[in-house]
Amino acid sequence: MNDEPRMSAEEMLERLAPMLSRRRRLRGIGALLAGLTGAVFTTVLWVTEPGSLPDRTRLSFALLILVCLAWTGYGIWLTARRAPLFALDRVVGAWLGLTAALLTGTITITLAAVRERGLITALVVSAIIVAVAVLLTVRAHSHRAALLRRKAELTGSGPR
Amino acid sequence: MNDELLVVRCQLGEREAFTELVGLWHVPVWTFVRRMLDAERADDVVQEIWVAVLRSLPRLADPSRFAPWLFTIARRTVLDRLRREYTVTETPGGATETPTEDLAEEVADRTDLIAALASLPTLEREILILFYLEDLSIADCAQICEVPAGTVKSRLYRARRLLREHLAEKGCQP
Repeated sequence: MNDEPRMSAEEMLERLAPMLSRRRRLRGIGALLAGLTGAVFTTVLWVTEPGSLPDRTRLSFALLILVCLAWTGYGIWLTARRAPLFALDRVVGAWLGLTAALLTGTITITLAAVRERGLITALVVSAIIVAVAVLLTVRAHSHRAALLRRKAELTGSGPR
Repeated sequence: MNDELLVVRCQLGEREAFTELVGLWHVPVWTFVRRMLDAERADDVVQEIWVAVLRSLPRLADPSRFAPWLFTIARRTVLDRLRREYTVTETPGGATETPTEDLAEEVADRTDLIAALASLPTLEREILILFYLEDLSIADCAQICEVPAGTVKSRLYRARRLLREHLAEKGCQP
């Protein structure tokens, strides 16, 4: 019987390297945020359009939103299945998300104000998006801080 | 370095910690899988296990329970592979190393014991491997196999009895 693995630990790590790639993780976050931001922005643009739009224009808006949602889905799949986010990645991702939320909120509210349509909706939606982004950022920091505290305890260099 | 510290460092994203973790647990995981499957499939299944581990590691709530958690994933992956390839039977698919001629070999010979282990039904085999070869407690085995501790004890008792009967058939003294 063969009692030794054919693949050594080093060879296994080489095969796992794509999952540990920071670039891939950031790509996942980027796709998710770009997709979400694009979908929200395109939706707001569509909703605040004055007057009735021709069918082709409505179809174009719908397709654009679908494309953005597809990128969001790709980003979620990448971060959930192919390149999991560790503590520092979650912090970086959360800050990128908060930046995207603030940017999207600002543009959305400005657009609604200039077009004088759906301002209340824009304010509410922007507030919700920013609130969720802030919550995710706080949680990401808190989670990383807890891990760092535990690491300090285990290495004997922190409070017990 | 204990497992908990290693896992915490992995969860923080330290690349060197992954290297150490895989280095430490690759052979024990492979050994468990090898006892359940044949050599050809063991390497593929071990890779599937490590992919699942990396994917779920950020969400592991209790790093001090890494070993039982790891073997829970290993067990599920092995059973999924067995289900995919066969209807779930009580006899192993690829274990064909049972010695039929060398009856004079001493029972303490590792090859005989391993062959005897391979002849056991899946549930009894995995519990023997986890308890004796991987040195896990009854509670850990219960968590990994998702059964009560009482069931683990019953399976251990039955596994030991089957192993004794198998060795007695082969003319070996336990």
